[in-house]
Amino acid sequence: MGTPNPLEPELTNHASRPEKKSPGIRRRLARQGWAFALPALTIIAAITIFPILYSIIVSLNHITFTSQGYHFHWVGLHNYSVIFSNPLYRYSLFFTVIYTVVTVFIELVAGLLIALVLDKLIAGRGLMLAVLLLPWSLITVISAEMWNYIYNGVYGVLNALLIGIGILHTPVVWLGRPLIAIVSMMFADIWKTTPFVAIILLAGLQMIPHELYEAAEIDGANGSARFWRITFPLLRPTIALSVLFRVLQAFGIFDLPFVLTQGGPGHATESLALLGWQVMFQDLNMGRGAAIAASTTLIVLFASLLVLRAFRAQVGEEDLG
Amino acid sequence: MRKTKTALLIAASTTMPALLLSACGQTPTQGAASPSSGVVTITWYAGPITGTGVRSTLISKFEKSHPNIRVKLISAPTSTNTDRANLTAEISGGASTPDVFNGDVIWPAQFGHAHLALDLSHHLPKSFFNRFAPGLAAGASYKGQEYGAPLFMDAGFLYYRKDLLAKAHLPVPKTWSQLYQDSRILQQKKLVRYGYVWEGNSYEGLTCDWMEFMTDAGGKIFSNASLTHSVIDSAASLKALTFMRKLITSGVSPSSVTTFEEPQAMAVFDAGNSAFLRNWDYAWSNSNDPKVSKVVGKVGVAPLPTFSQSQYPGYSNIGGWDIYVNPHSQHISQDLTFIRWMTGTQAQTILATKYSEIPTNYAVQKNPAVRRVNPVLNIVSKVRLVPRPSGTPSYPKISQAIYTNINSALTGSISPTAALKKAQTQIDRAVSSNSL
Repeated sequence: MGTPNPLEPELTNHASRPEKKSPGIRRRLARQGWAFALPALTIIAAITIFPILYSIIVSLNHITFTSQGYHFHWVGLHNYSVIFSNPLYRYSLFFTVIYTVVTVFIELVAGLLIALVLDKLIAGRGLMLAVLLLPWSLITVISAEMWNYIYNGVYGVLNALLIGIGILHTPVVWLGRPLIAIVSMMFADIWKTTPFVAIILLAGLQMIPHELYEAAEIDGANGSARFWRITFPLLRPTIALSVLFRVLQAFGIFDLPFVLTQGGPGHATESLALLGWQVMFQDLNMGRGAAIAASTTLIVLFASLLVLRAFRAQVGEEDLG
Repeated sequence: MRKTKTALLIAASTTMPALLLSACGQTPTQGAASPSSGVVTITWYAGPITGTGVRSTLISKFEKSHPNIRVKLISAPTSTNTDRANLTAEISGGASTPDVFNGDVIWPAQFGHAHLALDLSHHLPKSFFNRFAPGLAAGASYKGQEYGAPLFMDAGFLYYRKDLLAKAHLPVPKTWSQLYQDSRILQQKKLVRYGYVWEGNSYEGLTCDWMEFMTDAGGKIFSNASLTHSVIDSAASLKALTFMRKLITSGVSPSSVTTFEEPQAMAVFDAGNSAFLRNWDYAWSNSNDPKVSKVVGKVGVAPLPTFSQSQYPGYSNIGGWDIYVNPHSQHISQDLTFIRWMTGTQAQTILATKYSEIPTNYAVQKNPAVRRVNPVLNIVSKVRLVPRPSGTPSYPKISQAIYTNINSALTGSISPTAALKKAQTQIDRAVSSNSL
């Protein structure tokens, strides 16, 4: 951070140009801007804000189904006090947090390594990118079904492979024991989303100007110094972005446990989203399901703020420019 | 600052699928109603029954005899829980379609209680329900009202390899210990890889298998008819669970049986890798289908074994599907005509003879001509049936308390004693108001 960023004048050049206009024109432009954005904003509000508010209202009620539709009975925070004192909810929260932290951390490290290699790659980068994107482009339900076959305890590929090369002697039930099931599921997630992280980071890497590295080389900086003094600081906003995306996705994980384990063995892989679905659409307890959903949203918003805060210095610097 | 706001928006929009789903359920969709033209189209939500051809065969036969009603099929998933989630979201939101839907036999209490299924007793004469085999109409009722018409029934059966038993000069096992011994013998003689495959995954199917083992050992889920206090934590249950665990630890069942649902168990048996299989009625036609099975012609079917010989045959869990009417349907009278026809002799004979389903229509079930075609029908009348405790709207939670804990014990994560204790606590909580 100590090094002044020579990029800034160039980056902020475009953004600062409108500032030279008179306040009146700026205000009119802003009004026009709002007018143009309004239809899009209305749609966004309709599909995001409304369901969230509605969900919060539902979570404060006990819902009974009548022949005329839902009947709302106000219970205040009762649903929340029930879910927070429920051991299954607490376990689900614990599982979801651990799952998010572990997968996002590994994906970030692995994704960064891949991005660094790709950045240096001269020939065949396009091909490598295409290959890398395959896991990411598969619909999760389909890739999860694929992993289901790989992990299958009787005719699974993984057991056949490991027994074939002599690592295992008896087949392992990959999804049958809690710890192995959790690790297997994390692996499937990491396999799928590491490329996504790698590609976002690669874009960030390519925005770092080469002159910086040349200058550093002339000054005699070695590889690790170049990484920690140039690459990493300049990559921080991109890292923040990819971590944010991944935390949001991982925290709402539903499709993988839905296909692979249905939350089992026992409740070992029951994520908050799966629990919410179960309570809402299997037990038809709308109020408590909504409380699970709303609490999850609040927790992940808080987590997002933490992530942003951790990278705030860098983000703030950009805005100041 | 701008970035923070964007981030919040992204966070809000991507987190919870359940959140969005809850809103989707609110949108009422209107059926394609055109009463003026004289021809009415009703939609039927149904999963593939024994194959994808059944439904269109039935529809075309129905339309031929009812020219004023067209039936539009909405193909549903095979998973009962996914079906329930779809239907709940649509119907609770006031959608008028689907007009009629196939649903699990364990749904009447929950769907009746939540007004997700039409109370048929108000629209059909009492005599209508006399057509069904004994007990079936009672199974589709909740608080004395009928919410579904039984479409086809099902039960757990023991499928065995005739050729292997003959090779080892063994009779068809009548007790669980006999099945265990036979399996060991067949495995030791290297005739087959596994002895017995069944449904052990953490899901509804394990509750079915559990009901059979537990009831046979003398256990119960509830002591009273009002379903308020669980007695699952009993010596009889422990005997059943210990035996199930022994099947796995001894290698008679593969350890991955704890991840098996019907298709996985079926596949192992079809591949010739297991001597015995617990499965539903469809396993008969499936194991005799040369396209998927290597054991065509080598399979026999019998009632499930029991813990003590004097009690033979063992208990079979009642499965099967009912046909329900959406209470918001705009074509109730056409829906009822369709239901009458589907449970009548023509449709039920087609289901039984062409698609090897067990008919619910008693006259068809007893018809000797039908029985000759479907050998499973001969056994149905012999088995002892046990229902799941589905007479309460809390049933999904009760079942979940059963299958998650039994599954944990089967995998060895917790002891059978601890699993039963936990199951009992969770069932008690499920029927109280303090559950999730």
